[in-house]
Amino acid sequence: MARTPTEEPAMDKSYGLIAAFDTTPALYHACEQVRNAGYTQWDALTPFPVHGLDAAMGVRRSRVPRFSLTGGIIGFATGMSLIWWTDASDYALIVGGKPYFSPMFAFPVSYELAILFTAFATIIGMFLVNRLPMHYHPVQKASQFVRAMDDRFYIVIEANDPKFNVAATRALLEQAGGHDIAELEE
Amino acid sequence: MGAHLADHPAPAILAEVQPASLPRKELVHHGRDFHWITEKICGIVEGPTPTWWWWCFGVAAFVASFTVAGLTYLVGTGVGVWGHANPVNWAWDIVNFVFWIGIGHAGTLISAILCLLRQKWRTSINRASEAMTIFAVACAAIFPVFHVGRIWMAWYLFPIPNSNYIWQNFRSPLEWDVFAVSTYGTVSVLFWYIGLIPDLGTLRDRFFTVGRIWRARIYGFFAMGWRGSNRHWSNYEMAYLILAGISTPLVLSVHTIVSFDFAVSLLPGWHTTIFPPYFVAGAIFSGFGMVMTLMLPLRAIFRLEDLITQYHIDNMCKITLATGTMVGYAYSIEFFIAWYGSNPYEGFAFINRAFGHYAWAYWIMVTCNVITPQFFWFKAVRQNTTLVWCLAIMVNVGMWFERFVIIVTSLARDFLPSSWGYYSPSVVEIFTFFGTFGVFSFLFLLFIRFVPIMPMSEVKAVTAAADPHGPHPH
Amino acid sequence: MSAPAPIAAPRTGTALGIGAAGIALTAVGVFVSGLEKAATSWLIALTFWIGIGIGMLLLVMIHHIFDAGWSTVIRRQYEHALAAFKWLALLFVPLLLLAWLQPGLIWGWMNLATPLHDGHGTVGTDVLYLKKSGFLNRDMFTGCTAAFFGIWIGLSYFFRRNSFSQDGDGDVKWTLSNRKFAAAGLPLTALSLTFAIIFWVKSLEYHWFSTMYGVWFFAGCMRAALSTGVIIMVWLWNRGDYRGILNNNHLHCIGQLMLSFTVFWAYVTFSQYFLIWNANVPEETFWYNLREMNNSDGQPNQWKWVGLTLLFGHFFLPFLLLLWYPLKLSKKWIPRVGAWIIFIFFLDLCYNIMPAFKDHHGDPEPFLQPGLLWTLAATAGIGGVCVWAYLRSFATTKLIPIRDPRIVESLTHHEANAP
Repeated sequence: MARTPTEEPAMDKSYGLIAAFDTTPALYHACEQVRNAGYTQWDALTPFPVHGLDAAMGVRRSRVPRFSLTGGIIGFATGMSLIWWTDASDYALIVGGKPYFSPMFAFPVSYELAILFTAFATIIGMFLVNRLPMHYHPVQKASQFVRAMDDRFYIVIEANDPKFNVAATRALLEQAGGHDIAELEE
Repeated sequence: MGAHLADHPAPAILAEVQPASLPRKELVHHGRDFHWITEKICGIVEGPTPTWWWWCFGVAAFVASFTVAGLTYLVGTGVGVWGHANPVNWAWDIVNFVFWIGIGHAGTLISAILCLLRQKWRTSINRASEAMTIFAVACAAIFPVFHVGRIWMAWYLFPIPNSNYIWQNFRSPLEWDVFAVSTYGTVSVLFWYIGLIPDLGTLRDRFFTVGRIWRARIYGFFAMGWRGSNRHWSNYEMAYLILAGISTPLVLSVHTIVSFDFAVSLLPGWHTTIFPPYFVAGAIFSGFGMVMTLMLPLRAIFRLEDLITQYHIDNMCKITLATGTMVGYAYSIEFFIAWYGSNPYEGFAFINRAFGHYAWAYWIMVTCNVITPQFFWFKAVRQNTTLVWCLAIMVNVGMWFERFVIIVTSLARDFLPSSWGYYSPSVVEIFTFFGTFGVFSFLFLLFIRFVPIMPMSEVKAVTAAADPHGPHPH
Repeated sequence: MSAPAPIAAPRTGTALGIGAAGIALTAVGVFVSGLEKAATSWLIALTFWIGIGIGMLLLVMIHHIFDAGWSTVIRRQYEHALAAFKWLALLFVPLLLLAWLQPGLIWGWMNLATPLHDGHGTVGTDVLYLKKSGFLNRDMFTGCTAAFFGIWIGLSYFFRRNSFSQDGDGDVKWTLSNRKFAAAGLPLTALSLTFAIIFWVKSLEYHWFSTMYGVWFFAGCMRAALSTGVIIMVWLWNRGDYRGILNNNHLHCIGQLMLSFTVFWAYVTFSQYFLIWNANVPEETFWYNLREMNNSDGQPNQWKWVGLTLLFGHFFLPFLLLLWYPLKLSKKWIPRVGAWIIFIFFLDLCYNIMPAFKDHHGDPEPFLQPGLLWTLAATAGIGGVCVWAYLRSFATTKLIPIRDPRIVESLTHHEANAP
């Protein structure tokens, strides 16, 4: 299975440029340069989360917490209303001399449901925001991609970035210390 | 550091800062690089199945068959095949349930609480500990489910409309348990899976590169198309942090609710307000005992000394010591308040525990849980891996006995001497419990064969080379 | 320039002045409202400040036992505050004198002739007291109180000495010594704070018992100490000392701890209440019943509203506020949340202490009463002494532990893994 895009005879459409970096500091400073050059449609590929890279790339704080909070509130409300409806409304029954409904004994279950729903909402939110699952992506065609999941760091600048220009972008990546710069096929 | 403080002049005192040298322990020895870590961890999954694995797998399957046989016999005959009889209607089944679920809690502690506390050393043990959590919860769930007797009616536990129109009793802690344990199981699996995604991506690409397409597809399916994008990492890390954030109150609540099973009752020895945090401390204590029981052999078999260092073992020992001491605090306060409260039944329950028919169990518990961990004060003990492993086993034994003491002694002798009794387990329940160690090992062996046993991405992230600012050894 | 910007003398003097004024005002209270009221106020105020001190001692020990990095710059301020323990011990002496000279005035069990609230007999004929008399007696009380202060003052002395000495010679041995003291000190402090709160507060209603009580006090101490810490940090920032030292990640971390202990406090308090509510055993529920309704007529009393204020004000409000990321970084808001938590910690202590004193119907004394004035005066007075002790210590050493092995890690904490 040949996956080297450079060997392909004709390229349908360019996705962008990929450049490799060997160390985290090199990647970090390169990201700062790309950010300062005003690119917006670009990404860094790393085998592990590099701390501080969000700031170097200018990535905003994640929006996942909003999903979580919504999930938690829905979960808690579900628990309370489920217990109120089943034990105090639909089939009221006195057990152990306790009231039909009290937030006291409804609390443990509502609490668990709040956590359960928060977990689901967080994970669904994370997948939605990241647009995953996405089993095909142009970078996966690059032969060097296997190392992005191992020990190397990459910057990918997309062709649809308004500032993208094959020559200028390649020069920027080279100047930032990137090597093995290659064009990616859509 | 001045460059980062651009908005105000650096104060004069910063010029005087001259720290004494006390380097932090490195978490990965011998300056292993990223690629070495990948090869080491993936190599376990990619390499041929070792012979010892087949042997262990066979033994585990054989032992697990005891549980299968015991449960089959129980379903075919009735719950009477267990040794339960008035007044002890909760015994080994509930003891085993609490025992296994408690073991699970260390996994969540390592993955969630230590994550929130930014304890970087957790990375090399968290994957296996979380796997332990899931398998332990599975073993735990067996017992209450089969204790209901008519197992085919177990769906009555959930609020599903049925032909009787009546609903579950949400005032009962047993119903809370249903929600707590099922939420705990679900969230633990999800948390574990989210942590796995980047590593599955690595395996996908490695299998693809060497042409093992089917494996690449299976791992690839679960990897969700992960490509290490930093924009993804940003959301991923936030999601991971939130999951850690909610798993922490979850793990506390699960054992709290388990403790409510006892504490909301009126039974002497069960009804005491410290039960929730006391059970949680005990759960973490027992879980760390099990983590060490599992990790120390794994470390030796797979030569993981560079990743699970003496520093890791020290830390695990110290947490065991701390939680063991907390459990000791709870034992003492419980005993003291039983006397201070001056309720004769409560007082009797504790005297009976320590000096009654089950005194042997009580003193095994105290010895294993309070005295054993005190050995971990000594560096020489912590550095002797074999000894640490033996002490960890003692912790497991002690925590099983703790639940036995709490549950059985209180039930066997409560208020009315004419209805006192003595409980002994039947062969069936001994076999069923013994078999769960096989079930657990069976699952754990599958885990170490097919899943990367350490989170490669997280281990890489705590090496010196991962720091985008720090000194670079390569 | 080594010394921190010297604190202007009037400030130290002001603190001591407030202290003296508050103490004097409480003394006036003795003549206006009687000795019992004033002594109760003194007990509340002392427990409050001692609680904050214990929390700080615990934070210092937790810092050392975890070999924490980020909190190094904050730890120094806790060390200064620990100087207050010896003064708190001195301020406890009046209560001990009272225990010996006027037994039974505060702790009813100290005098066998104290009548029981239900009107049947006295402490001396109460089987529940006689059973406990091996523990609840004045000798034990005095001896244990002295031992508690001995533990706290001793530990404070060593942590302060080690940390301050390191500023001079930069020797690692001080850090290692601190670690050992922390390991030994944590169990000692856990036991001493548990028995201190049992003796001083829980035994006010000696019929009642709860194994959770020590854990409840621990949670309150930690919350109050963290909140005080955040106020000190922002105060030093506003003064200018901490500019260039304190960064957002410090605030974020301490905010997270405040959030965690808010949840922990709620967990402990809820568990105690819930288990007693659910089991519904009269020998336990009376304690909460008194804090909801009058014994005599069953009408709701003021403590019901105080209890609800605790639920919402001590849990929901700070919980929701602290969940919010920007608030934890706001130098304007986070000290206000801290001040609120400290205030509610005070209220929580009032809730635990004041209803133990009954009127002639056997109903708890109301919350809003003239005597509350003496409580506030005593709190200000003892607080003045504590602040004075802190400021006095502050002026004698470096602003931050400049030679601590983790100091750079703490100063560059903003580069660490922020979420």
